[in-house]
Amino acid sequence: MSADINLLLNKDEQEIKRLWRVKTLNFVAVMLLIGLGVISLFIFLLIQVISSSSIKKEQDDVLRKISQFKNREAKLFIQDNRINNITEILAKRKDLSKVSSVLLAKIPNRLFVESLTVDDKTVSMTTQSTSLLSIGEFINNLTDMVRKKDTIKSLTIVTLVFDETRNSYQVSVKSDLML
Amino acid sequence: MNSKINADIKSIKFIFNRNKPYLLSSSIIFACIILFFQFIIPQFKTMLSAQKELREASLRLEILKENLNILTNTDENSLDQQIKLLNQTLPLSKDFAAILSSIYYVSSKTGVGLGSFSLRVGDLSKSEKNDKFPIISLSVPVNSDVAGVNSFVATISKTLPLSEITLIKIGDQTSTINLSFYYKPLGGYSDNTGARINSISQKGLALINKLKGFDNGFSDAMPIATSSSFIIK
Repeated sequence: MSADINLLLNKDEQEIKRLWRVKTLNFVAVMLLIGLGVISLFIFLLIQVISSSSIKKEQDDVLRKISQFKNREAKLFIQDNRINNITEILAKRKDLSKVSSVLLAKIPNRLFVESLTVDDKTVSMTTQSTSLLSIGEFINNLTDMVRKKDTIKSLTIVTLVFDETRNSYQVSVKSDLML
Repeated sequence: MNSKINADIKSIKFIFNRNKPYLLSSSIIFACIILFFQFIIPQFKTMLSAQKELREASLRLEILKENLNILTNTDENSLDQQIKLLNQTLPLSKDFAAILSSIYYVSSKTGVGLGSFSLRVGDLSKSEKNDKFPIISLSVPVNSDVAGVNSFVATISKTLPLSEITLIKIGDQTSTINLSFYYKPLGGYSDNTGARINSISQKGLALINKLKGFDNGFSDAMPIATSSSFIIK
């Protein structure tokens, strides 16, 4: 029988491969262990470094100082509260005084106001004059205001009558407000 | 088919002896994997939460320092005067004296005579905290011509406390003005030490300067009641 014929690997070579595998595995295990330890230590140190205890101590110190100004803090709160509320009221408040002022400024000299009613939506006015020209001027003025969207957005002539007893013309108008 | 595996002691010992050198390192690797999931990941999470906590604490400290800065630099006398003006503008409660003196002041300033009028006080037991802006409404009869009424209306809209004219009715004989005076209870103050304190803004200062230009009838003497003066229902 020939000694050269051998279907199995050489015994030494097999042992070397096995030893190499063992060494690699041991190396991986040790490196993993060391790596785990290093990572754990690193994270632990990082947690210690980023600890907020010093900041909390400083916070307590500032809070202690703030507590001496409690009264002032409450006053600032009241001031802020009042300013916000007043601003809101002034923004939503409808200025009817401006409406009446603007409308009365448009009344010609020879025209007399008999009645004027202004609420938050409409304005109704009754005027009288001996001259139709004054009434015409008044209506023109109001029409201009509607066209320019100044204070009023519509104009309705409710009545235009001639009062024989007073020998004067009377006109009633109604408008929707721009407010 | 019977898939039973026969393993005798000898075979097990053989397998054990053959894999013995791998056993220790494999166990260590396995333990490392378990430690990673059981220890490192939670530790990492702890680190992240500590970082978040630090950020929040730093932010809070910054706010507290700003608050302290505002509080120490606030002139208390000026603050008191501003609050007084603001409370006169928008009283904390139903301030009938302020309302009456405001109407009286405007009446005397514009030279407009007033008729009898009444204040609707409302249910005093009812809580007003839910109302956005509670009001006291009153209807004031005015004995004056169109110009007088207009002057009265223009003046009262720039007089403290804050009011809104809801109706102007000028008639041949008498005129009526419906007014609503605002007030607002404070409410909602909580001692929240971490909250940011706002110092007065430029907008707030502009508002105060605007309000300083308003008339304040409260400083004037109160009217003496006559038969045609004020009635509180």
